[in-house]
Amino acid sequence: MQHIAERYTGASVRRSEDPRILTGSGRYVDDVRLPGMLHAAFVRSPVAHARITRIDVRAAAEAPGVTLVLTGEELERSLVPGPGIAAMFSGGAPVPAFTTLASDKVRVVGDPVVLVVAESRYLAEDACELVEVDYEELPAVMTSQAAQDPASPAIFEDLASNVLVRSPVAVFGDVDGAFARADRIVRADLRQHRHQNAPMECRGVVCSFDPESGELTVHSATQGVHIVRTTLSTALGLPPEKVRVLAGDIGGSFGLKLGAYREDVACAAASRRLGRPVRWMEDRLENLTFSGQAREESFEVEAAVTNEGEILGLRVKMTIDTGAYPGMGAMLPELVKTMIPGPYKIGALSFEWTAVVTNKAAYVAYRGPWASETWVRERMIDLIAMELGMEPLEVRLRNVATRETPPLRMVTGRSLAGVTARESLEAVAAKVDLPAFRRLQAGARGHGRYLGLGVATYIEPAPGPLEGRGGGGIMGPEQVRLRLEEDGTVTLFTSQMPHGQSHQTTFAQVAADEFGVPIEQVRVVVGDSDLVPMGFGTGGSRAAIMAGGASLHGARALKARVEEIASHLFEAGAEDVELSGGSVAVRGVPASAMSLAELARAARSPGRLPPSLAGDVEVTAAFDGGEGGWSGGSHAAVVEVDVETGQVRVERYVVAEDCGTLINPAIVEGQVRGGIAQGIGAVLLERSAYDEETGQYLSSTFMDYVLATACEIPRIEIEHLETVPLDADVNFRGVGEGGMIIAPPTLCNAIEDALSPFGVRVFEQHLPPARILELIGAIPAG
Amino acid sequence: MRVGSLTVKPPPFDYSAPDTLEEALFLLGEAGDEARPLAGGQSLVPLLSLRLARPSLLVDLAGITTLRTLGAADGHLALGAMVRERQAERDVRVRRLAPVLADALPLIGHPAIRSRGTIGGSLSHADPAAELPAVALVLEAELVAESRARGRRSIAAANFFTGFFTTELAPDELLTSLRVPSPAPGTGWAVDEVARRHGDFAIVGAAAMVRLDTSTGRIGEARVALAGVGDTPVRLRETERMLDGAEPADGAFADAAEDAAARLSPPADVHGSAAYRRHIAGVLVRRTLKLAAQRAREAA
Amino acid sequence: MTSFDVELTVNGLARRATVEARRTLADFLREDLGLTGTHLGCEHGVCGACTVLVDGEPARSCLMLAVQARGADVRTVEGLAAGGKMNRLQEAMWDSHGFQCGFCTPGFLMQITALLADIPEPSEAEIREALSGNICRCTGYESIVNGVLRAAGATGFLE
Repeated sequence: MQHIAERYTGASVRRSEDPRILTGSGRYVDDVRLPGMLHAAFVRSPVAHARITRIDVRAAAEAPGVTLVLTGEELERSLVPGPGIAAMFSGGAPVPAFTTLASDKVRVVGDPVVLVVAESRYLAEDACELVEVDYEELPAVMTSQAAQDPASPAIFEDLASNVLVRSPVAVFGDVDGAFARADRIVRADLRQHRHQNAPMECRGVVCSFDPESGELTVHSATQGVHIVRTTLSTALGLPPEKVRVLAGDIGGSFGLKLGAYREDVACAAASRRLGRPVRWMEDRLENLTFSGQAREESFEVEAAVTNEGEILGLRVKMTIDTGAYPGMGAMLPELVKTMIPGPYKIGALSFEWTAVVTNKAAYVAYRGPWASETWVRERMIDLIAMELGMEPLEVRLRNVATRETPPLRMVTGRSLAGVTARESLEAVAAKVDLPAFRRLQAGARGHGRYLGLGVATYIEPAPGPLEGRGGGGIMGPEQVRLRLEEDGTVTLFTSQMPHGQSHQTTFAQVAADEFGVPIEQVRVVVGDSDLVPMGFGTGGSRAAIMAGGASLHGARALKARVEEIASHLFEAGAEDVELSGGSVAVRGVPASAMSLAELARAARSPGRLPPSLAGDVEVTAAFDGGEGGWSGGSHAAVVEVDVETGQVRVERYVVAEDCGTLINPAIVEGQVRGGIAQGIGAVLLERSAYDEETGQYLSSTFMDYVLATACEIPRIEIEHLETVPLDADVNFRGVGEGGMIIAPPTLCNAIEDALSPFGVRVFEQHLPPARILELIGAIPAG
Repeated sequence: MRVGSLTVKPPPFDYSAPDTLEEALFLLGEAGDEARPLAGGQSLVPLLSLRLARPSLLVDLAGITTLRTLGAADGHLALGAMVRERQAERDVRVRRLAPVLADALPLIGHPAIRSRGTIGGSLSHADPAAELPAVALVLEAELVAESRARGRRSIAAANFFTGFFTTELAPDELLTSLRVPSPAPGTGWAVDEVARRHGDFAIVGAAAMVRLDTSTGRIGEARVALAGVGDTPVRLRETERMLDGAEPADGAFADAAEDAAARLSPPADVHGSAAYRRHIAGVLVRRTLKLAAQRAREAA
Repeated sequence: MTSFDVELTVNGLARRATVEARRTLADFLREDLGLTGTHLGCEHGVCGACTVLVDGEPARSCLMLAVQARGADVRTVEGLAAGGKMNRLQEAMWDSHGFQCGFCTPGFLMQITALLADIPEPSEAEIREALSGNICRCTGYESIVNGVLRAAGATGFLE
């Protein structure tokens, strides 16, 4: 028997996912092979906004290898009308009517119009070229200003205009008083550009309908199998129990793969019609053009400040471009509103927002979807510091909420219990040695070298204080089920659907510690809607605390169950039975030891236990996150800008992060670094660009949507702080989104600092070389 | 890039892999402009996959051993059209006889691209943002072409690149080798580029060669060529003439850079405006000339 | 369209299939030979996920036609673990928590295999340059670079 020397929790245990991933034996959706499987491809709109006047699929239907060609109109006849998943993330905004395949209108380049199913993807693509579609083009609505023009053509006829929501003004604290007392008002119009998730694996699905049983089996690349099941069963009019959704390895997602998309519904319907499996693997061009984009938001901000750098209040007007079809855009502004004070004692806030519809790809969740609150706030703080001639760090330290000075609460109402923003700010400042950097910077400028330092801080609801989070619903408590198998191993079933986060390792660490077995004896099962407990899946930085906590409580409950069973089998009191090292025994009587395998077999043997204990040794546990609270931290970046070419090099990147108790430090650091890489990419490289005249999409390949490589991302120095514990047992915090939230303001602040001799003020998030040269006046603005 | 169909599987085509140049030229002669020669495929295959190229026949040149020779003779470096970029990059003769080429090769794509990509494929593809065409211009290389109809002919690099992704080659004609004259003694060189990321196509790339007059120390000859600033790679002859007999000093190079930038009307795309490319062109002209002159001094 | 017999060696085994000229090497490996360890991330030659070794040199299998690989010696990620035992590079990546979602992994492993054959003890700068044609969206690359250093026996980078 293996002796467990120490706890797994807190150790950088090697991942149980890696043996399959490193040997090429992972199973991603594109690897699924079913007998008789067919391949789908979509005819997509080449224009941004048009009425469809004619579709002719005759030639395509007769092309070699083609088994089915479906137009939107025909597909719709086999579906149950309704908004589908669109309503789930609408935040209460109106959900317009549209068909699964565009039938009356196309609303964005890449809009799926016709589905072609053939014996191979090659043949399906050949046939797509034979489909004739006539479009009567309409003016493309490409900016939020254009969308707010009453003269702009309605993208959805059942919406009164292209303005989806205009919110009332929400007021927290004495805003007018704060602005009346202010020494100065600092104003800025700030804008974020479009980014996209761009996971290395695109979306994909294999749908297999069995005409005999009436059951639909779906292999999906998804963050949660039950949302896919709900969407597909609703759309196809199938009872949920007739739909089984399976997910294997997922090649990244970052928020994109939430639920079933329109293409998935079309493939499921096609499989039902054909009685054969239908596979659709999104290609990269489809992915970049249509799957979804994020972050395009603009802000008008006024800050009331004192000459000493105290921020008395903020007035914020937010506009979000939600793109053509409902995604997550309309539900985010309320989150941004709640979060925008961050870990600061900002005493007053007014916030109003507008959401518009445009002829661009749908706004989807992307790693820290509400992140603009941090970018806007941290940008404003540096602009305020510049205005006042103060060190930005000083402005932060002056305003940050600290545990010594209550009330620890944002003006929007949320508790800041456990937040360590001041500590993390001080940690990164010490690590970069701020005074030494300022000397270095001054010296370098004398030699024509432009160095800059940026600091920023954030908190992330991971999952946030219980109060205000709400108790139930699909984002409510997380359940796990644990079963002791007849070989003595433990199987843990979770609705979490890891796509890089290594949950099969981390939950096993937590459960193995609590149950007291070697980690190899805990198997974590994910990705089967028939087996795993109902749940939302992976997202919202829930996994570590919610599912990690449920794993801990579940393992504890399983241990109690095992001890109870053993007490019956041993005819001893429960308090006299002990589970340790993989066997149970009567305390002090080693000879009584019974292996867990024997116990599991005994429990399943008829008559050995009372009915309440007989059968599978299985428990279900739920965890609501408890006081949960915040992840957070501060980052500092040192950059050098080549003012001749506009190129920015990140010379140094320092992190002080706080996600509470670390389950697996290497995995935490991987999440932090990966998020930062995306944030650096967003500022320096990535932009989803449209031609604003024609509505054409300009970033449909990886040559145009430019992702960072190993040459652009520096080593990242990480220091871990630990939050004050808020729960007796579970002090893990989600850490998946923070890096992407905080890296953009950190980098923008650093670049502005580097360019301060040119009097540059940064009001936008995307700063590619050409833009840097425009900002310093080396070239005219393009 | 505007891509209409958003598809990624190549359309149907036929394929032939001849063993000899004669056979390849025969196939190309028969098929006319319906056929495309396939060299390393690093540019052609993605065009096929995006269905932006639709040849009826691909003539694979990989089996033609005579196109794979790399050698030096009578003051020339001769690279067969099917010499892989990675092979040339590792070859000491290339480093010795054409250092400007040796420096440019590692800037092409990535190792996995260069291990398939060929010298002849890159030149024939004539991407105006690619490195090799500009380097061929600055080297005053000769491009040897052959066809059944016209036989063998030698085309000066200056006459080879005729337009956007188009060359002097006829549809039935193949580029068979690149002949690079050895630089005069005391010549310095430099290659530099600005790209969004390491390995990307250059937003602007520059190659320069400078020979100093051994007696006066002044510039005897300066050459500079740019990628990414127009429909073709651009040799800056007027700018070069400004430098004839000039002191190889910062001022002269700055003036040259300003002159060069003013002459260009570069394209705009998602990576940068025309003004940005013009500015970068100036910066790179100055930087490459300066470095080339410094190397020339060191060589002297 | 004419079909072509493609005979080649994959991971030391003689393999053969009949395909159209337009079939990419990547699709040939995945669909015709069932070697799904090689992944397709962009199919236009930028992301590097489909990188395999062709006659010892790294190549994008999405930028090669299967017919171009006739007679070639191809190595894929499935060929790294001899006899089911992970090789030194794979072990080093496991120890370094090199990857997360695993989708880019096969391309990285094959590119690194080529790098280490070329330069057995690469510097960090050489590693980063050699890997600049492989995109990972999860890790920020540091763990991958560490894995290469570890595989090369350079443990000085470890704290």
